[in-house]
Amino acid sequence: MLVSNSGPDAASRAVLRLLTDKLPGLSPIAGGTSAEPLTASDPPVLRAAKIVEGTVLRAIKVPDVSREMTSGFGAFLDGAQKVQVIAHLYGLPVVLGTISAAVRVRVNRRMTTWGHQPPRVQQAIYLPLRYLPALDTETLAGIQRSEWRVIDTSTADKNGDYPSQHPAVLVDRAIRAVDQQREELEDRLAEAWCALGESPLFIDGGISRTPTVAASTCAVGVIKSHRTLYVEGDSLTVVMGLKKGERSSVFRVSPRSRNSVLSWYLRQRAPEGHDSMWGLVRVEVAECDQPTERADEISRWILAEASPLALPDGRWDKMIYGIRDTEEFLRAIS
Amino acid sequence: MSEALGRVVATERKPNTPHEFHFWTAIDSPVGIGTIVRVDGAQPIDGQIPHIYGIIVEGFSYTDLQSPMHDVLGHDGLPTTAGFAATERAEIRLYTAAVLRQIPEEPLQPVPMGQVYLADEADVQVALRMDGYLREGANTGIPVGVYRAGGTDAVIYLDADFLLGPEAAHLNITGVSGLATKTSAVEWLLSSLFKHFPHEKGSIAAVCFNVKGPDLCYLDQPGKIEESDKSLYEKLGVEPKPFEKVQYFAPYTAKGHSLNTFRNNEALLDKVVPLTWGLREVLQFAEVLLNKDDVDAKADALIDFITQNVVDKEFSDPLLSKKHKVQSFADLEAWFRDVLQGMEKKDGESWRTHHVATIRKVRNRLSNISTRCAGLVTDSGTVSDLPFGSFEDRTVYVVDVANLEEDAQDLIFARIVSKLREHLERRDLGVKHLVVFVDELNKYAPGDGADTYVRKMLLDIAERGRYLGLVLFSAQQFRSQVHRRVVGNSGTALFGRMDADELSTPGYAVLSPATRTKLATLEKGQLMIRHPHFTQPIFVRFPRPSVMQGRQGAELYPQASEIGLDAAVFRALRPLDPTITLPWVQDMVALYGEDEIIRARNATLLARPDKVRPYFEAQFRKHIPAQAAPRPMAASIKSAPENDPYGF
Repeated sequence: MLVSNSGPDAASRAVLRLLTDKLPGLSPIAGGTSAEPLTASDPPVLRAAKIVEGTVLRAIKVPDVSREMTSGFGAFLDGAQKVQVIAHLYGLPVVLGTISAAVRVRVNRRMTTWGHQPPRVQQAIYLPLRYLPALDTETLAGIQRSEWRVIDTSTADKNGDYPSQHPAVLVDRAIRAVDQQREELEDRLAEAWCALGESPLFIDGGISRTPTVAASTCAVGVIKSHRTLYVEGDSLTVVMGLKKGERSSVFRVSPRSRNSVLSWYLRQRAPEGHDSMWGLVRVEVAECDQPTERADEISRWILAEASPLALPDGRWDKMIYGIRDTEEFLRAIS
Repeated sequence: MSEALGRVVATERKPNTPHEFHFWTAIDSPVGIGTIVRVDGAQPIDGQIPHIYGIIVEGFSYTDLQSPMHDVLGHDGLPTTAGFAATERAEIRLYTAAVLRQIPEEPLQPVPMGQVYLADEADVQVALRMDGYLREGANTGIPVGVYRAGGTDAVIYLDADFLLGPEAAHLNITGVSGLATKTSAVEWLLSSLFKHFPHEKGSIAAVCFNVKGPDLCYLDQPGKIEESDKSLYEKLGVEPKPFEKVQYFAPYTAKGHSLNTFRNNEALLDKVVPLTWGLREVLQFAEVLLNKDDVDAKADALIDFITQNVVDKEFSDPLLSKKHKVQSFADLEAWFRDVLQGMEKKDGESWRTHHVATIRKVRNRLSNISTRCAGLVTDSGTVSDLPFGSFEDRTVYVVDVANLEEDAQDLIFARIVSKLREHLERRDLGVKHLVVFVDELNKYAPGDGADTYVRKMLLDIAERGRYLGLVLFSAQQFRSQVHRRVVGNSGTALFGRMDADELSTPGYAVLSPATRTKLATLEKGQLMIRHPHFTQPIFVRFPRPSVMQGRQGAELYPQASEIGLDAAVFRALRPLDPTITLPWVQDMVALYGEDEIIRARNATLLARPDKVRPYFEAQFRKHIPAQAAPRPMAASIKSAPENDPYGF
């Protein structure tokens, strides 16, 4: 997922023009500012997972790894989001969120946009309506009649609590709302791909959010961030000690709010001289009868994607070029 | 409408301007340097969607790679493993195009964003402003070649008004030697010109100076044409056949026996006319052969005196032993001898204000001309010349000077061009427009070096010829080393494959690096064209000329070796009368000297009489058959004295 924060663009200028007309007290921020969440959504944790390949988690050398091996992935899915605080209204943040997602298909080793489902770009204005009494119903309706969607960042959570009026908290709510909508956009594209059952799809991130994708044999999720490590104790040592071209045993990830998938860790690049997470990714696939064969096959595909490098992206140790291409594409269209 | 092949792009660092724009294409797009494209703007201007025509002058390709090192790392330093990479890096083809034309032409604005299309034949006509001179009823287009790109075959026309005048004129061709570009291009262009030059604009002919090799010696012989050339000929509307009317002119060899040309094979002699001049013709152009050291003011005065008072006049003087009528170099030599002997007898140092040393010097220099230009200049004064006054429409006159000494070449060039100019000024040449083709301009009109008579003449044609209908088609290997006013006055310029050193000279700085590179690698049959109507140079293909190439001609019709005089006379006369035999010629010439035989042959060739035998025979002095002299009456012999001691 790409998070970009560029200066004022045509969209933010258009929103400001609209809101300045409707809300006389609006105070634009020159150039807009990118928004960062107050705290990460998930604290780093270790979580146990049920091993389905053997009884203990161990390092397994991926068989038949060679320069000549080929990747079975036919397409790559990624999403991007941009969150900008473009103005203040009585000190409360007015946020513009832009989300996008696309599937890029590989044809004859060249990347092209999937023609069946066009790439999607959505923009919305995130406002804490509860704390904006000046924004009467008529004005709000006027804004919503325009091309812009307004999303309320001051609604009550599942416990019925309303967020604080603290501007930072409201920005944080906006960011999380943008996150969620971007994930939904990605999920819809992934589902569309899996419904057609075309070639295996490399998804940047997990596949467990929707049952269709989590159960699809053509969806492979690759997670680059490891705030949650599905290993404990000796298993952690095994994962951190994986060498280039090695994977962990397959385990099952069953989050409460998500769908159960099979997973394993894979070291794409030699970690010597780097931190222990260097080149380490976690792979998610649908449940299957032969997890060993499946894990070996998918691991070979991922290792085959090691070239060309995703440089100059800073995450090039874990990111494959197809995802970088998709991110660049999204950057161009959003 | 065809599919768009690109999109115009512009950034702050690389903006579009009214004369240049940038666009990208798919990687497999059929465009390249020299391709003509059309941009359709998105926003109307004054109610009209703008169309911009451009020609690609530069191309760029790059990937998202930030450093070459990243590629090295990505393939573990092994280039061979690059082929195993699962994905090719994103790659761009970005082109820069120079604007050929904008429609509407006003207001002239930077090229807008829009889609880019490959120009079709109609677009090419508009882009190059050819639509202005290809109108029905006012078509002055002369096909010069075919522009080819991405499936588009478009005929490129030159405007006759800008090729032959009066608007602009002259054509210059540059290209490295040995690639059959310069001569082939001229041969092809003359074919096209003769076919397409509008009849209502008058008659046209060409005089070609063959200055080297046999290249221009077989213009009337069919050449080898390939299928691809045939289709080009068809597209260009020219029949692939040799020139119908060609006349060759060549002087004799120094011995005077045979013609000094590559085309002296007996099978081809019927179209070769001897080129010989006498004293009168040469004296007008004495300064061509005499350098400044030779001709000081005094010598010049004496030459003027001879020209005005001696040549072709009855000249008498108390100093001279007899009356002279000087009509040939031989007569002039006799006159000089008489003058000098008279001065010696009188022991005088000057005659009619001319010092004896000046007289001797001028005698020496003038007499020398007939030696230096032997074969061309005749002692006898026989003149055989180009048909000034009766030039024919669509005819090529080739003057073969390839085997001559430099002096003789200069003399021929100077005199023929002067005569052409004189006749065109008087409108009595026989044709209204005349193309003069001169190769090796590096030699005849160099940018530096002495200001020769020939260079002056070329400059004169280049600067004033178009008003007379005298058009210079010139060629050279190094344009940068030709006099700037000669090439500068050429409205149309053709460029074949160029030498890299030549391309690095300042004259080519206006071309983009990619265009220069393309010029350095042009194939045979490809040209880059600059023409007044084209705002940018255009690349075209032209067909192989449908005439026999020099090398092939030389193999098929080998040059005759120097032969005996009787055989030479036989060869020269037989085209006039096929019944003439070698024994007859041998019988005829057996009693006469070489000079007399040559004079008789030249006179016969010049007159081209109906009855060749009697005419040739009549040129000789009558020999009265030898008769035994009557024995004179023997005189009585005086008797010897009886006492003669020595008597018998």
